[in-house]
This record gives sequence, structure tokens and C-alpha cells, in this order.
Amino acid sequence: MPEDNKKQEPADPMEVWEHWYETTYDAWKNSIDGSKESFVDPYGLYHSWLKGIGEAQEQFKAGAAGLMDPQEAWKHWFEVTTDVWKKATEQGADPVGLTTQWLEMMEEARAKLPAGGVVPADPFTFLKQWYDATSETWSKVVGDMIGTEKFMDMASQFLESYASFTRTFNRASEAYFSRLQLPTRSDIARVAELIINLEEKVDRLDNEFEDFEDRYMQMTTGEATSGLSGRLERVESNVAAFPAAVESLEKRLERVESKLDKLLEALEKPGSEEPAKAVRRAPATHSRAQQPKAPVRKQRAAQQARVEVES
Amino acid sequence: MNNNLSLAPDFESAFKKYRTGMQIILEGAQAETGQTPKEVVWTKNKARLYHYEPVAKDAYRVPLLLVYALINRPYVLDLMPGNSLVEFLVGRGFDVYMLDWGTPGDEDKHLAFDNYVLDYMPQAIRKMLRHAHAEEYTLMGYCMGGTMTAMYAALFPERPLRNLMLLTAPIDFTPDVMGLFGLWTSEKYLNPDRIVEAFGNVPGDLIDTGNRLVKPVTNYVGSYVTMWDRIMQGKSMDTWLAMNKWVNDGVPFPGAAFRQWIREFYQQNKLVKGEIKLRGRRVDLSHITSPLLSIAGKKDHICTLPQAEAIMHLAGSKDKEFYVLDAGHVGLLTGADARKGLWPKVESWLAGRSK
Repeated sequence: MPEDNKKQEPADPMEVWEHWYETTYDAWKNSIDGSKESFVDPYGLYHSWLKGIGEAQEQFKAGAAGLMDPQEAWKHWFEVTTDVWKKATEQGADPVGLTTQWLEMMEEARAKLPAGGVVPADPFTFLKQWYDATSETWSKVVGDMIGTEKFMDMASQFLESYASFTRTFNRASEAYFSRLQLPTRSDIARVAELIINLEEKVDRLDNEFEDFEDRYMQMTTGEATSGLSGRLERVESNVAAFPAAVESLEKRLERVESKLDKLLEALEKPGSEEPAKAVRRAPATHSRAQQPKAPVRKQRAAQQARVEVES
Repeated sequence: MNNNLSLAPDFESAFKKYRTGMQIILEGAQAETGQTPKEVVWTKNKARLYHYEPVAKDAYRVPLLLVYALINRPYVLDLMPGNSLVEFLVGRGFDVYMLDWGTPGDEDKHLAFDNYVLDYMPQAIRKMLRHAHAEEYTLMGYCMGGTMTAMYAALFPERPLRNLMLLTAPIDFTPDVMGLFGLWTSEKYLNPDRIVEAFGNVPGDLIDTGNRLVKPVTNYVGSYVTMWDRIMQGKSMDTWLAMNKWVNDGVPFPGAAFRQWIREFYQQNKLVKGEIKLRGRRVDLSHITSPLLSIAGKKDHICTLPQAEAIMHLAGSKDKEFYVLDAGHVGLLTGADARKGLWPKVESWLAGRSK
């Protein structure tokens, strides 16, 4: 701000505004006109642009007859915008080189836009055409800028400042709300950590149960299988023994039959008809009265003894 | 065109269009995303393991687990019906699972890659195998998720990993091949400790700004010019809305993981040197022996071709392929080009290796 403003203490805000406006306007005007005073007021740069827009607005308000052709309106806007920046660069007010690049882009846009035909009055259509005409140059300008160490220096400093401010603000907020006995983000985060740790334990238990279930299923299956296998083997061995047993039984049966045959033959021999008949009879339980007579019993016993000896 | 400055005849139509555009700008893009039917199989902290409902009769035996980056929402893989890699794979008979890392809170600022690779991923894979009744699996990682899956595959070569797919996964962080990120993340200009001390979890907006500044004019102006153009011409806004929603839906980066990502990966490039250690275990990418497919995009400025190709020289796999698409970081995944390029390639490569 120029020093003049600091000396005055106006009561009316409007006066303050008017004074500021006139001062900055004079400063910019003097700068452009090459005056001894070398103020560089960035806000004054927009004054000439606003003035040009104001003139266009006045023409617009003048009525239908005074309506400006859209192409003329954009052309006028281009001229107003670029003239101001051109003068600024000529005066050396372009330390970063952005103004020069901006002017190049504007000139390119001015050349491309009317080349496509009539400039549309519809703002959205114009926006699309503007973007198509300028995006390539604009991207290149911005890309070149953000890839420089100068930009990175500024960005890095900004990030550091922002991080410092955020850290200080967060600490102050934490302290403030703690004093008010209100729960803070860190309090809630601590509770959440406890819940997460609890969930971790539940997860581990869940895994152990799954492992136990898998192991148990494997064990049960193995035991059952080995048990079944053993039993099956025993059954198989038993079944394998069946033919031999059956054969042995057959042989014994044959022997028994042969003995019986011999017994019958012996009983059927002459002099032993009564005992033979008695043998042929069904071997029901005999009462004492029906028991064979003693001589026959003796003979049978002798024959039986002979059969046993032979077998 | 009428040079008269009078208003267009169809004022009502123009006003509606104007209102639509302003609504999007003021309220943000609203769109239904991630609509392929799925169920939650397992959760851990904020992470969720999703299983997508199979639709094909004959399914491939080997389940597929999608692992996304920590800093973006994974629904970009399932953007909308007809524009969804997940829907495509499910329709082709793959048994698809997705690990959604969720949104970290202040209590998660200490989570590092050690936790994600050594705790979350093994647990998710265990649950997936149990749920799928499978003994082998395929891992597909995208962007940072690809870096994480590569580290997992290197640390657990004895696990039954059947196939490994990496989509635009940065492996080599040599400054010369990183483009603008090489300058922005250098030790001279970026101190991750200061940021983590200030924010805890690095805000998604900050990460998003860094990504957008790679192409600022396109990202900050061009996308909205496209929006107005589509609105004024009466074209469908569904895809634009879904993509814009995703782009603006960034997730905070857990502080410890951010510090590790910037310092050990971007600034010191430890991964290619084999110097990354997770809980004391050294990550040696040569231990990767499973079949490997690495896919990258020519126009990708976030993960450049050399960054993604580095895995081909480091992995010990005998069956490995590097496939390049003419697409950008996200355009590779969705849209008409993806339907013609990425999706059929994924299907053809996986089909023969998932039986």
C-alpha cells in the first residue's frame, strides 16, 4: 500500500475505498506512463481490464441498435485483457515468466477461435471451443512450470507451512477439547484400537477352531478308516477260513455217517435184530419201561466201544 | 449460428441442462457403482473380503483374488453394469473375490505394509481358500495393490499361489523412469515424516491432488468441459458420473504406510534392490515362481512402462509375460478400450491356468 494511505484516517468507509481506488489507479498509471514513482500494485493491473469491460457493458446497455456482435465482443475482450499484460511485461513485471506464456496462449486462442467460423454466443459452446483451442498450449505451459525446481521449492514450502499449521491446529484443538472434558479424536481412536485388538484375538480364536476342526476331521477319518480296515481284514480272514472249516465239517460229517452206517450194519446183523429195530426207532426220551433190555444195551455198548476205538 | 445475443429459443431445455451441470458441480457426481452381486465372506478391521456370486454353470476351479491399492476405492473394477471387469470375469466362469481395504481411521495410522502383506493378505487368502474349497488361487493386484501382491508372492513362495497378475504395478522407482513423481517425491522436496506428524493418515484429497497435478489441465478443467459438452449434446452421463465419483472418492493413506511408500519405495527404491524388509523378512522378488502376467499402459503417467516392466527382470517365474496396452492408468481398466484390450487378455491368460 502506498504511504499516503497510512497517514490518513478517514471516518467514512466509502471514502477509504475511493481513496484506495484512486491511489492504486494513479500508481498503475504512473508506472505505465514511466513516472518517477515506481509502484507496482498488482490490483491496478485489473483496473484497465475492468475499464474495458465497463465500456463494453455500456455499449450493451445502449439498446438493440448498440448490441455488439459477439465476435466483436470477444475481440474487444481479448484486446483489453492482452494489452494490459503486454504493457506489464514490457515494464519488466514478469519475474516468473508466466505473463509471457499467458500472452502467447491468448494470442494462439485469438487466432484459433475465429478461424473456426463464427464465435458462438452460447457460453458453454464457447467454453468447449476455447478449451479445444487452448488446452494443448495451456497444458504445455503448466506442465513446464510444475516440472521445474522453482515450482517445487514453492510447493514444498507451502506443504511444510500447511503441515506445520495443521499440526499446531490439531494440537491446540486436542488440548482445548480435553480441557472441556469432551472426547477428542484421539480418545475415540484409542477406543477403536482396543476394539481392533479384541477383533484380532477373536480372529486368532477363529483360526484355532478351524485348525482344530480340520485336524479332528483328519484324525477321525484316519482312525475310523484304520479301524474299519482292521475289522475288514479280520472279517476277510474269517471268511477265508470258512471254506476250510466247511470242508473239515464235511469230512467229519462223512466220518460220522460212516460210523453210523457201520453201527447200523452191526446192529442189522443176525442176532441183533431187536437192537437194530430199537436203533431205527426215533431216539425219543425213553421211560424206564421203554429202555432197551440189558443184553441189548451191553451189546450196543460193546459195539459203540469198538466204533470209538476204530475212529 | 445466430449472432444475435438473444436467448436460445428452447430456454427451458437449456435451463434444465444448466441446472443438471450445476447440480453435479455443487453436489458431486452421484452414481450407483459396484453393482455386481456379492457377499461379505470375512472382515478384519476396515477390510472386507467380498465373494461375487457365480453365474456361469461351469466354473474354473482356481479362485481369483483382486487386490487393489490402499488409496482408491476398488469399485473401479466393478464400475457399472456393462463396464465392469468383475462382472466380465464372473460371467466367464471365474470364481472372483475382492479384498477391499476400507477407509482407515485415526486408529489405523500405524498400519504399514508389514501389516497389510503379512497379516491381512494371508488371512484373506486363507478365508478365500476355505470358502472356495480350493487348494490353489490366483492373485491379481492393481497399482499399489500389485506391488503388495508381488511382495506377498515373494515372501510366501511355498504357499499354493497358482498365478500372479499385476496391472500397472510399479516395481522400479528410479527417478528417471518416474516422470514428474520422480521430482515431486525426491528427498529434497518431500519429507514424509512432517506430513505424517501433521495429518496422521494422509488425507485422500492431498493424494488426489498429487495425482491430478500430473495432468492438471485435463484433470481440473478438461473433465468438466467434457461434462458440459455431454450435457449440452444430450449424451449419456452414466459413465462420466461413475468415473467422476470414483476419482473424487479418495481414501486416506495410513501414515506408516505412506511414510514407507515414499521413503523406502519412491526415494530409496529399495524394492528392486531387494532391500525392502517387512517385519525383518527381506523381500526378494526372484522368489516369485508362479506364472506371471504383468500389464501396463503406454499412456500411464502414474505407473510408467519401465516401472511396471521391471518385474520381468526380477521375478524367477519361467512362465511370464509383459503385455502393453495403449491406454492410461484408469482407462486400461474400464471403457470400450478395456473391453477390447484388457478383459479378453486376462480371460485368455487365466483360462488355461485356472483349471
